[in-house]
This record gives sequence, C-alpha cells and structure tokens, in this order.
Amino acid sequence: MPPDMDWDLKGFFMLLEQSGISVWVRESPSLLAFPTVISLHAVGMGLVAGGNAAMDLRILGFAQGIPISSLERFVPVIRFGFWLNAISGLLLLLAYPTKALTNPVFYLKLLFIALALVDTLLIRKQIIYKAVAPDTSVATKGKILAAVSLALWAGAIISGRLLAYTYHYLNSSFDSRRGY
Amino acid sequence: MDAYVKSLQTWLMNTSVSYAMNNYHYAWRTSESIHFIGLSLLIGTVGLFDLRMMGLLRRVPLPALHRLIPFGILGYCMNVMTGLTFLAGAPDQYIYNPAFQMKMLFMGTAGLNVAVFYLTMYRRVAAAGPAAEAPLPARIAGTVSLLCWIGVIFCGRFLTFFRPPGWHWCPWC
Repeated sequence: MPPDMDWDLKGFFMLLEQSGISVWVRESPSLLAFPTVISLHAVGMGLVAGGNAAMDLRILGFAQGIPISSLERFVPVIRFGFWLNAISGLLLLLAYPTKALTNPVFYLKLLFIALALVDTLLIRKQIIYKAVAPDTSVATKGKILAAVSLALWAGAIISGRLLAYTYHYLNSSFDSRRGY
Repeated sequence: MDAYVKSLQTWLMNTSVSYAMNNYHYAWRTSESIHFIGLSLLIGTVGLFDLRMMGLLRRVPLPALHRLIPFGILGYCMNVMTGLTFLAGAPDQYIYNPAFQMKMLFMGTAGLNVAVFYLTMYRRVAAAGPAAEAPLPARIAGTVSLLCWIGVIFCGRFLTFFRPPGWHWCPWC
C-alpha cells in the first residue's frame, strides 16, 4: 500500500474486485472468461485502430479510387470496434481495477484514445462531410489530422501493450509487483 | 521428425535474436507493440476488404479498396518478423503450445484462401464496377479470410493460457 493512497480508494478497489463479474472474468477457468474477453479486445483494436488507419491512409493520398465521401462507410466498422473494446475493456478493468487505475500509463492510453476519437470526429466533420464528388485530393489540414490520427492510435496500442509491463500493484492488497 | 524439430529449437535458441530477446530489457515489449500495430494494419485493410466482399460498405468501390491491401501486407510482414522474434526468444513456449499450433493452422488456411482468391477470383473482382457486389465465390473467400484472421487473433491471445509444460501438444512426436 503506497503511503499516499487513500483508504477509501483501497476500499473501492476491493469492492470492485469482489463483485461477481470481476471474480468471473479474473478467476473463471472457462475460456469464455478472461481469454475470450482479452481476445475480443484485440479484435476490436484491429477494427477501431485499423479501420481508422485505413481512413487516414486514404486521406493521406493512398488508394485514391476511394471517394473521400464514401469514407463515412468505414464508420460503422470503426464504431463496432470501438464499442467492442469499450465493453471488453470495461470487463478487463473490472477484473483488475487496482492494476489499471494505479498505473499512469493506463490514463495515458485513455488520453490517446480520447484524442484519437476527437480527431476522427474532426476528420469526418471537416473533410468527409464536406467532400463533393469527384473528390480525389485533400487539403493539407486534412492530411495533418490524418497523420495525427495514425500517431494517436499507435500511441494507444503501444501504451495498452505496455500496461502488462508498467503496473505497480496487481490488486488491492497492494503487494508490490516489482519490489519497490 | 521430432529430432528435426528439436534441432530447429536448438538452432533458434542460439541465434542472436534469441539472445537479444532474453537479454535486452525492452525487447519483448517492443516486438509486441509492433506486432499489435501490424495486426491493426492487417485487420483494418484486409478485414475491411473482406467485409466489402461479404456485402457491407457497398458504396466503397471494391477495386479501389483493394489499393489499401499493400498496407495489410506491410502489417503481415511486420507480424511475421516480430512473431519470429518471439519464437526465437522462447521456442519451446510456442512449438508445443496448442494455441500456437492452432494459430499456424489458421494462418495456413488464410494463406491458402488468399492463393485461391488471387488465382481464381481476383480478375473478376478487379474488373467489377464501383458499386458491384462481389460474386459468390469471392463472398465466401472474404468470409473465410475474416474468420481465419479472427481465429489467428484469438489463438494469439490464447497462447498465454496453454503454455508448456502445463500444456504439451506434440502431434509429430
């Protein structure tokens, strides 16, 4: 237990960890529990980050046969990936609340995702909705937004991957993982 | 056969890549991060193309969407290379892992599916009009492709739960 950690927070983490859904995801021997939830999180990542990347690459000037206005058709796929990951991510968070919420990298990941979502919204509002056929090239502003989007999703993926290496406490017992 | 696999295992463990994976602190996490970015590139381009062949996103011209496939190939190559670093880093943890064997099976099926698609269907798909629906065989190929890649992802994430020596699959032993 870190000295500056509020006891109420510890109680909150314990409450979450003892909830039925948390125990099931974390401790059930069923492959449908933790293994499937984390697999769905990877599939959703491919859809949301990958679908966004495909959109960004088109805006950057690749695959110019795709009309800019038709990029809106990518959105349902991206949205599906997002919700798949919001739900599976929430389940993973419930399974190990202390592990995620005491790790600054987790908040960095959320920040990357929030910024990436805002960026995608800007791309849709300022580039895709305004596109009129035949719309092959995009103004520099759109290309900057697309490049930033690629970087933000890469940031979200990398910080997500690093969660396995950077956490300080696995659960609310606050036994330090790395001996400090 | 088993002797051959064992010698491959020994060879992998003596590579400099294996040394780096086991002695450079940031090696695994770096490889893993690249592996996940490659996964996203693959699903975001190939997966989208598969969905289009299955009948979704019909307003996106199929031949134009195919122009994004090189990024999927890039993702695939990133993942083969980083995947090999994992294999070299801990060969026994993969070779005898049932999830890894299933993953290779899914990858093989996906590869076969790609070969059949490009040899027998691609020309018709490439010549199709912008709003055209993919012919039935291409719809099937798209479905098989998407299911295989989802299978690959699941098996990849299942690796952790089927680790040797607790698990030990060796069909060739």
